[in-house]
Amino acid sequence: MLDAFSRAVVSADASTQCVTDLDALKEFVAQGNRRLDAVNAIASNASCMVSDAIAGMICENQGLIQAGGNCYPNRRMAACLRDGEIVLRYVSYALLAGDASVLDDRCLNGLKETYAALGVPATSTARAVQIMKAQAAAHIKDQPSEALAGARLRKMGSPETADRCASIVAEASSYFDRVISALS
Amino acid sequence: MKSVVTTVVTAADAAGRFPSSSDLQSVQGSIQRAAARMEAAEKLAGNIDAVAKEAYDACIAANPYLNDAGQANSTDTFKSKCHRDIKHYMRLIQYCLVVGGTGPLDEWGIAGSREVYRALNLPTPPYVAALSFARNRGCTPRDLSPQALTEYNALLDYAINSLS
Repeated sequence: MLDAFSRAVVSADASTQCVTDLDALKEFVAQGNRRLDAVNAIASNASCMVSDAIAGMICENQGLIQAGGNCYPNRRMAACLRDGEIVLRYVSYALLAGDASVLDDRCLNGLKETYAALGVPATSTARAVQIMKAQAAAHIKDQPSEALAGARLRKMGSPETADRCASIVAEASSYFDRVISALS
Repeated sequence: MKSVVTTVVTAADAAGRFPSSSDLQSVQGSIQRAAARMEAAEKLAGNIDAVAKEAYDACIAANPYLNDAGQANSTDTFKSKCHRDIKHYMRLIQYCLVVGGTGPLDEWGIAGSREVYRALNLPTPPYVAALSFARNRGCTPRDLSPQALTEYNALLDYAINSLS
């Protein structure tokens, strides 16, 4: 498993050079608190994000919870919720490390083949991950949709930055995209 | 590669939980010291040739027997290899400064070094002499800020301890 720093070291070692491009790492250090807040935003809202993502996926495709659907009966629905949480957990690890290696090695490696063998529909899985991607962006920006959340609106209330942590949002989105492309 | 972040993630993953606030605190602690480490890493990267040359010269001066026929520093080829080895250690220390842990030294410098040095019949005290010279050469604030020098010296001490 690598993080942003050891990734730089491993690529420098390939050419037996010192790590010379330290600017990106200095930026990582300077934005460290944003990253930690972002990971905290995901971890603190995880169960809500997962259940909403799975519920959203099912609302768009009711066949999943009818007899023969992949979220029927409860046992398979529970497995679906568990998998949603696992994906989100590995994305949070990747975001904390600043590198996708933990997500690739421990979550995505062989996931597509496993799902194909179990008959899990890739399009529905990708849709649930897409919903989590949008939720993660909203929580990291601390701008959850008031129209959609209604009475359940929940804000982290962490200090706001001018650009609403745009670079961290983009990075988190890239990890969700990585999951989607690994599944399809 | 062992670092604070990978240690934290490994522990969280083994327990199957999201990063907790104590995990985030650990990472925060590492990030706080990262600025000093980056300073030391940048300085070392820019001057690694001079640092390695000085340390190499000092270790040969302290162990002149190495120049005798049949010894480890007797031919030009051996001399360049000795110099390369010292530079190798300095480069690994630079990696450790970047990573914020001893992972690079452990994995690429220390693991198996005993066997290699024994097989090649190389003495370790000259390596210790070279690294000790580098350890005592750094001066604050001429070379580095106090915190950066502390981080750099701690890693040199770690390498010295592994060899002695």
